[in-house]
Amino acid sequence: MQTTSPVTRTADSILSTNRVLRNTYALLATTLLFSAVMAVVSMAMNPPRGMSLVCTLGAIGILMFVLPKFENSAKGIGIVFLGTGLLGFGLGPMLNAYASLPNGSSIIATAMGGTGVIFLALSAYVLTTKKSFDFMGGMLFVGLIVVFGAAIINIFAQIPALSMAVSGAIVLLMSGFILFDTGRIVNGGETNYIRATVSMFLNIFNLFTSLLHLLGIMGDE
Amino acid sequence: MDNLWFQIPVAIVMGFMIWRMIPAAKHWLKNGPKGSSKEWLNVSMLIGAVVLFVAFLITTVRG
Repeated sequence: MQTTSPVTRTADSILSTNRVLRNTYALLATTLLFSAVMAVVSMAMNPPRGMSLVCTLGAIGILMFVLPKFENSAKGIGIVFLGTGLLGFGLGPMLNAYASLPNGSSIIATAMGGTGVIFLALSAYVLTTKKSFDFMGGMLFVGLIVVFGAAIINIFAQIPALSMAVSGAIVLLMSGFILFDTGRIVNGGETNYIRATVSMFLNIFNLFTSLLHLLGIMGDE
Repeated sequence: MDNLWFQIPVAIVMGFMIWRMIPAAKHWLKNGPKGSSKEWLNVSMLIGAVVLFVAFLITTVRG
């Protein structure tokens, strides 16, 4: 018993990790697709900026307060789609603003492609090396708090250089969070695929919007 | 964002998110494992690669 039990537990643990990983990527792919469809619908409808803000704030509220109550049941999947769909819909007016720039469609396509490459490369690195990046947790959360603080100041101060610095810092922090979150799934630190999907979706969403912002500023001579 | 009706709710929500993140930051700072210098070097190289890639994207967009 003593010799077989640890082996069985390890095998179970590996199976469980693989299941979480598979379910996370399946749900992530469908939510990203759904969110993209909602963004396209929003671009076509071109809702007023207030509605876009309400959708984004509503999505944040749903993902922060409603989802934790349902994350262990099938209802959680519906709530993830609701939250990510609202986030996608909220992106519409911003995408329309970028699309109206002279090289707007090129900027949007580059930001999308860049986000995809960064996410796939960092995820592939963690999945192949199976390294844990838990040691980055403290630095990432403190970094995010500092960046959010700077972003709040810049909502009122509206300093272009600070805005660019915040976007650059978010790109780096979200890259770090992709390593951190993927490492936690691979090493069994995260066992709930709904929670893992939302974390990964928000990493990609924030990476895309910040990269879009950076390219929008830097792409303009 | 030039309208206070947009600025204030966004600032409040972001402030609230900071407030919600503080316990997680404290938890990871207190209980999280400490990385070795080799692990931090590894992360620095990965993040450095992201920086170079973003710089490449910027030059692509500038044409």
